[in-house]
Amino acid sequence: MKLKKNLVAATMLAGSMTALSFLSAGAAQAQGALVMYCGVQEEWCRAMVTAFERETGVKVSMTRKSAGEVFAQVKAEAANPRADIWWGGTGDPHMQAAEEGLTVEYTSPKMNELQDWAVRQWEQSKKRTVGIYSGALGFGYNTELAASNKTGDLKCWADLLKPELKGEVQVADPNSSGTAYTLLASIVQIMGEDKGFEYMKALHKNINQYTKSGAAPAKAMAQGETTAGIAFMHDIVTMVVDKAPIKVVAPCEGTGYEIGSMSIIKGAKNLESAQKFYDWALTANAQKLGAEAKSYQVPSNKSTPIPPQAPKLSDVKLINFDFAKYGSSEERKRLLSKWDNEVKNLPK
Amino acid sequence: MNQMTSLSSLSRSSLSKKQAASVEFRNVTKRYGDVTAVDNVSFTIEPGKLVTLLGPSGCGKTTTLRMIAGLEMASEGQILIGGRDVTHLSAADRDVSMVFQSYALFPHMSVLENVAYGPTVQGVSKKDANAMAMEKLEIIGLKGLEKRSPSELSGGQQQRVAVARALVLEPQVLLFDEPLSNLDAKLRRRVREDIRELQQSLNLTVAYVTHDQEEALAVSDRIIVMSNARIAQTGTPRELYEEPADLFVADFIGDANIVTGEVVDGAGATANVLIGGVNVQLPRRGASQGPVKLAVRPDAIMLDDAAAAPGKIMGTVKKASYLGTQVEYEVESPIGDLFVVQYGRKDPIAPGTPIAISFATQRGIAIVPGA
Amino acid sequence: MSRATLGWIVLGWVGFALLPWYGFDRTAVPTITDYIVGGSALVHGLRGAWWLLPVLLPLLISLRPAALPTRSDNSTWLIASGLLGLGLIVLQGFTIGLNGWTLDILKALSGSNGPSQAGMGYGAALTATAFLIILCHGLAARGWCRGDAFVTSSIGIVVALIIVFVFFPVSTILASAFADNNGDFAPVEFVTKFMDKSIWGLDCLTSDLRCGVAWNTLFLGLLVAFGTTALGLAFALIATRTAFKYKKLLRVMSVLPIITPPFVIGLALILIFGRSGALSSVLWEWFGVPRSRWIYGLPGVFIAQLLAFTPIAFLVLIGVVQGISPTLEEASQTLRAKSWTTFLTVTLPLMRPGLANAFLLGFVESLADFGNPLVLGGNFEVLSTKIFFAVVGAQQDQGRAAVLSIILLAFTLGAFWLQHAWLGKKVYTTVTGKGDAGIPLPLPRRVAMASYFTAIPWALFTVAVYVIILVGAFVRSMGRDYTPTVEHFLTAFRVENTDHGFFFSGSAWDSFFATVKVAALAAPLTAAIGLLTAYLLTRQRFSGQRSFEFGTLLSFAIPGTVVGVSYILAFNVPPIEITGTGFVLVMCFVFRNMPVGVRSGIATLSQIDKSLDEASLTLGARSATTMRRVVLPLLRPAIVASLVYSFVRAMTAVSAVIFLVTAEYNMATTYIVGRVEAGEFGLAIAYSTVLIVVMLVAILAIQLAVGERRLGRRSASTSASPVAAPAIP
Repeated sequence: MKLKKNLVAATMLAGSMTALSFLSAGAAQAQGALVMYCGVQEEWCRAMVTAFERETGVKVSMTRKSAGEVFAQVKAEAANPRADIWWGGTGDPHMQAAEEGLTVEYTSPKMNELQDWAVRQWEQSKKRTVGIYSGALGFGYNTELAASNKTGDLKCWADLLKPELKGEVQVADPNSSGTAYTLLASIVQIMGEDKGFEYMKALHKNINQYTKSGAAPAKAMAQGETTAGIAFMHDIVTMVVDKAPIKVVAPCEGTGYEIGSMSIIKGAKNLESAQKFYDWALTANAQKLGAEAKSYQVPSNKSTPIPPQAPKLSDVKLINFDFAKYGSSEERKRLLSKWDNEVKNLPK
Repeated sequence: MNQMTSLSSLSRSSLSKKQAASVEFRNVTKRYGDVTAVDNVSFTIEPGKLVTLLGPSGCGKTTTLRMIAGLEMASEGQILIGGRDVTHLSAADRDVSMVFQSYALFPHMSVLENVAYGPTVQGVSKKDANAMAMEKLEIIGLKGLEKRSPSELSGGQQQRVAVARALVLEPQVLLFDEPLSNLDAKLRRRVREDIRELQQSLNLTVAYVTHDQEEALAVSDRIIVMSNARIAQTGTPRELYEEPADLFVADFIGDANIVTGEVVDGAGATANVLIGGVNVQLPRRGASQGPVKLAVRPDAIMLDDAAAAPGKIMGTVKKASYLGTQVEYEVESPIGDLFVVQYGRKDPIAPGTPIAISFATQRGIAIVPGA
Repeated sequence: MSRATLGWIVLGWVGFALLPWYGFDRTAVPTITDYIVGGSALVHGLRGAWWLLPVLLPLLISLRPAALPTRSDNSTWLIASGLLGLGLIVLQGFTIGLNGWTLDILKALSGSNGPSQAGMGYGAALTATAFLIILCHGLAARGWCRGDAFVTSSIGIVVALIIVFVFFPVSTILASAFADNNGDFAPVEFVTKFMDKSIWGLDCLTSDLRCGVAWNTLFLGLLVAFGTTALGLAFALIATRTAFKYKKLLRVMSVLPIITPPFVIGLALILIFGRSGALSSVLWEWFGVPRSRWIYGLPGVFIAQLLAFTPIAFLVLIGVVQGISPTLEEASQTLRAKSWTTFLTVTLPLMRPGLANAFLLGFVESLADFGNPLVLGGNFEVLSTKIFFAVVGAQQDQGRAAVLSIILLAFTLGAFWLQHAWLGKKVYTTVTGKGDAGIPLPLPRRVAMASYFTAIPWALFTVAVYVIILVGAFVRSMGRDYTPTVEHFLTAFRVENTDHGFFFSGSAWDSFFATVKVAALAAPLTAAIGLLTAYLLTRQRFSGQRSFEFGTLLSFAIPGTVVGVSYILAFNVPPIEITGTGFVLVMCFVFRNMPVGVRSGIATLSQIDKSLDEASLTLGARSATTMRRVVLPLLRPAIVASLVYSFVRAMTAVSAVIFLVTAEYNMATTYIVGRVEAGEFGLAIAYSTVLIVVMLVAILAIQLAVGERRLGRRSASTSASPVAAPAIP
């Protein structure tokens, strides 16, 4: 009885001590610190942090979140920003943040080492965000299931309309996923708006599920839950590397792509470190880390070696994606609500 | 330090260690929203007396008791215990204990733990608290059962545990909320006598709530009769019985025949009252000349089956019940139907017999003022 | 005046004159003088922060009753001091922000940006608390709540906490429902968003189009609430009223799902029922049942939520079933009621508070659940996922999220109201101060059978799900490559023995430690505040009780994503600037999970006779002592329930914390979600397995520490040797 009492008291004491130490958390951000929101996969984020810390001695506090989550957080924190730099994640929310003035302009000395598409996006965003990698949209299919469904080879967007694939194609919901929005915008740009929507309606008959997350169809293919799935090619490649029986397809009609981006948060407390990181992240040395962390996007620095597993952009027929138009919130809202009304609610 | 005081309190006899305290209500009112449960009530309970709060259910007696305990707070007015204003004090700060109708024994504690609870939470050491509890259990006659849990006791035993638990702190005031309502009739008589004995031997101030007038008459020094959130009358059992303040009290305390009479004279300590043509002399109680209501106790009416006589009212026996020590009659008479009890009579009068009615004026018949 | 009041007056001064008034600048390292005197409001005030000096006035007022403790008007002085002090602190905190005046009017009036100040620190917190408690003591001295300072202070503190950590953040975000994207007031836009066809459409009734997301949510919620209540009751009855051999095992198993991180149940279900799932493969290869995708959609979400939320119903109901007075059942039987009739007319109605609470919790949980619909929803959409993607999805429409939250909230409110209407004003007291010598009625055959037939298959199913999870943690890739491996555990939890001692080099250690720490802090706080609230709600009468009760439910009813965003909006700027600390995570968990403590506390308390508390009070025990010695021991089932639940939820919650985690305070679940997103199911499942083990250990520890409730009741098994006392008077 006595013992129990003492135990309780000790626990409470320990608890309140920890609580006190909690309140003062964050004091560790000493000079030369950097707070980073990272929008790619954990390994890659960690690799970047470790490498940067080793090279510059700046202490990095990294939090990994999806691109949409980072945007929501940056927006909510606008009055008193916590983060300095936002690295990685699909370009749309970066563009949106630039449009809403949540990020600041910066011209890095490394700009001349970058691919054209990266520079173009930087210009379109009024110097507020810069491309660090890109990935083409495509689709894949589970070869075992495709054989049992007798779908034959799939090469083009049009092949996904085959009646053999009824209920066998998976793609994300563009309302929730940037990947699927890229699909919508790409199809509209490839085929024109009217024809594009005709295509989406026809595709709708073959769709078994609009997933929430953009990469989910890749996983579903690997697990054999769906025959075909539309996603960024590098997400599908990750599954292939993991020995899933999947074939990756770069559609013959051409395809759109995303630009993974980087922005400096407006009101950053460690602006200097943020700029240091910005410059460093654009170097070939830093961009090499992606492939090492099993992320097979195409880096934006011209001299970065392209990972052998990555879908070669030269093999992919890339369209001239208009990020300014299709990244603007107005156009996006219009397309999304049109898709909602004309496609999503159609009977199968 | 703590131990010292508790030890010294132990060494002194447990009997009347503390001075019993008075309880005083000054114009106390309790409202729940729009409902007034207790309306402008004032009374005093003398130290060392047992006072009963008596009344039908819903009259406000339990609320009054809970206000003494501090379980309800008065909306208006003042409450004093032992001369100290406790109106805003919480229950824990008042030197008052209570025995609940449901006993409220803590189911997760043994009998001993239940009784020792009071001193324990006051900071008395466990050993002393147990000693104090054992002492009270002994007084109450439950020694040997202290290890049991309450569920293993009979109803009467549980009741005693509840009393022991209330007594253990030797409170200035002890409260009982219908303590006998869960007991059978025989046990009830015993326990109420025990309570009375305990109260007198320990010289406790006790407030006691009941709706049973017989119980009230049996145990009380004084009775406060409540009706509709107000005090109807306060007095000793005898006063209430013999001089009811109003029709409600007359009817509620014992049985009463309410009859109409007429006061024929205008002044003086005694009044000449005509009841059905019979002249009776009664204490005036403020009645002026004219018609009055009278409360006539069943045993204050004499029946005579001999013959009609002057100064007597004629009636007929409608029904007679033989109850051993007494015979009860229902009698039809010019002054109304009467309920009559006669003691010590051997042969009951058969129904249908014409009888002459007279009154025992020394007791059991009173003018009800203001009725 | 009591010593406690005096103590709080002193603490008020300490907070003002000694402790640092402001929180520390996070980029600087504070020195010792910053902690004592140097950073105090008094020093700041004298050095130019003039707006802090008026707080001295109420502090001085509080000295009057301290100096003259016998005066009868002390309550007035205390109340004046408390009210004025709180008012001044709130006023200066909200008008002067990080960037000067917060109101444009003041900027215009003063013609400048105005003074600026940082967020409040220990000193401000202490002084504000002191004022609050001084106020409450003053009110108690006025005779509020039967003059009980403990009760008034408890009410004051709980109300203040709910205002700060529930109403304040939630109102900031709900306000955005009425604003357009630029933050301007736009009621028309609200109506358009609110009436949207995708929310309220009823097309599924007449055609094969889809119904509105609101109907989906409501339908699912009702299904899950019925299902979990029924299953929970079956488990509770078996655990308390039968001689079933494997009771203990059944109990453990029924609790397993609650300690499973989100996504994992969904993943396991896919691995069993999915198109290439284990069961589907067997059915196809042996019986030729074609593989299908039926699990994606309502059935899948329903099963997953049943798995996940039945334990909550069970935990609520077991306390209630135990508490039912056997005598009442015996009374019914002596009135010639057959055991089935007794069960139907006495036992079941007496369980009403428990059933209603279990139902309410199941419903609200289903509404707020996010992980399962995300993994298994398919094309079946519910409000919680819609809200999440309205915030983080391609539309980035916070206003829409707020509108959807309001609908979700309306459903919760409706459920809350219905529950009250159903329970009515009936009395459900079954634990009274009279010893209860009855023996619990064995279950009627029909009920026992029904319980076995629902509970046992369900338990077996649960086992299957967990076998899958366990296997998944130890093979390379579940569903594709069954090579046994411990590589997942090594990646996450590698410990290297270096020269400097052990080095936790696994990638999951950071988040693991942070999670355990936060959960261990949040659980006792949640249970304490929850049960205290339940006590106040059932045992005290005060005005505004109903809205108080609703306030406690509010943060539970709102989806985690919205709570997360609202916490950032509210707590990222002064006066209360706590984002980025572990503290904000703890508070978020406490107020999200408190309702479970409140509900189970209310359910149990409404069975305990009020006169037990009163008896304790009249015996000189104050409310605090009464709580500790009488109420808490009788509340043990509720304590276990809320401790377990809050610990577990703090370890497994996802949506609310996604926005609150930082580099230092990364949570296990966000790590797991990351793994799932990356397709590394093995690692995710391995981490989850570790979490499950930790939680199991914690639950056992909690059970052991809190102990069983002793009601002094006889059980059916000991009835062979009756121990009733001989009826000697």
